[in-house]
Amino acid sequence: MDIIAEGLVEALRLIASFDREVFEVVLTSLYVTFVSLAIAGGAGIPAGLLIAGHRFRMKGILMRVIYTLMGMPPVLCGLIVYVVFMRRGPLGSLSLNYTVTVMIIAQTLLILPIIMGITISAAGERQEQVRKLARTLGAGKRQTAGLLMHELKPGLITALVSGFSRGISEVGAVMIVGGNIEGRTRTMTTYISQLKGMGEFERAVAVGIILLVLSFAVNSLLYHFQKPPESAGRKEMLWK
Amino acid sequence: MEIEVDGLEKTYGARKVLSIEHLTIPSGKITAVVGPNGAGKTTLLSILAGLEEKDRGRIFYDGAEKIPFQQMTMVFQKPCMISATVRKNIAWPLKIRGTAKAETAEKVERLAGELGLTPFLDRRADRLSAGETQKTAFARALVFDPDLLFLDEPGANMDPHALIEMEAVIRRLASERNKTVLLVTHNLAQASRLADDVLFLSEGRAVEHCKTADFFACPREEETKRFLEIEWR
Repeated sequence: MDIIAEGLVEALRLIASFDREVFEVVLTSLYVTFVSLAIAGGAGIPAGLLIAGHRFRMKGILMRVIYTLMGMPPVLCGLIVYVVFMRRGPLGSLSLNYTVTVMIIAQTLLILPIIMGITISAAGERQEQVRKLARTLGAGKRQTAGLLMHELKPGLITALVSGFSRGISEVGAVMIVGGNIEGRTRTMTTYISQLKGMGEFERAVAVGIILLVLSFAVNSLLYHFQKPPESAGRKEMLWK
Repeated sequence: MEIEVDGLEKTYGARKVLSIEHLTIPSGKITAVVGPNGAGKTTLLSILAGLEEKDRGRIFYDGAEKIPFQQMTMVFQKPCMISATVRKNIAWPLKIRGTAKAETAEKVERLAGELGLTPFLDRRADRLSAGETQKTAFARALVFDPDLLFLDEPGANMDPHALIEMEAVIRRLASERNKTVLLVTHNLAQASRLADDVLFLSEGRAVEHCKTADFFACPREEETKRFLEIEWR
């Protein structure tokens, strides 16, 4: 209990003193997670909607692959990405291992199936109903897409929240491909792991608390957009 | 808007669900599509509304083959509501057409008044009863003044009073504003009250298409007579 209490005090001290090392790892973590989330969301949501809205051969197999990849062990993902980008690997000439770029690639690959899988589940039959409704009311492609986003919003935000949570808390893949290099590829999770190894438990707990607070703040923001318009007491984009 | 159908065919797997050689839906009239379950009524409506692909055949809307999505609409038996208020649901077709706010508000209020929806305007549409949902969908379909109206079992979930109100609106639309209405119904009493013409479908074929009075009083085809014997008398 002492370690956790001291960790809490240490967390407040680190925040108040603008500890350079901690702020660097926080920024690296947020940067890697948000860029991965943007790429995976930008690709995964349209792809998920496309898969959910069409019937085609091998759809069942594709769905099973996506659901399997949703539970992909991060270390395995990190290992595969590492091998691809290692000097002797197929993309070794790019020299991306131990850079933030390769960490983003690994995290994107981890987040993408999660976003796609949840989007497919969320879209389901509702997507077809909404598309039909938009068509019968004379909506164009953009208006249909807008209505679709509005109607599927809770599910899509759940997909983004899950993607963010996976990304921000991930340690295995970024440790393998990023290498936890101070000032370059060190994230909050890899830093915690290192601090634990060095026996600096109070500081490790403090960074963990900062990680949880940040995660709570981002999830709260996303949850705010997930609520129905009336209960949130604000105007919807669709009606502006 | 007149619809002309030539050699229309639709198959699901090995089963032919629609095979209509020729059919003309006259402009400014209400045509009721009746027939037993699985006759292809809703499939015909969905194909004419451009929601389903046909396998063969040609469909002309006022002589043109292009589907006039902007001038037609369809109300489903179980309508899909936008997750917003009734007012916003009815206003949406006008919103996407860039109609001015004041004009939108006026049209929404007027239609809601005609259909008895005024008390529900600020309620969430996805929390209405089945009958209120259908009325909202009907108002939303009419608000942008389409020339062609496809109705799948209109009023199936409404109470008798609301049904009469809605039927009066449909009649007014066809007679005063020259709208073409094609409605699928299992309710033969509704077809006899509302429709100018009746199209009887059976196993995907257009068995009989005639004036409503003739359909009920003196059907020509044996199949129609058998159907009416069971369903009407």
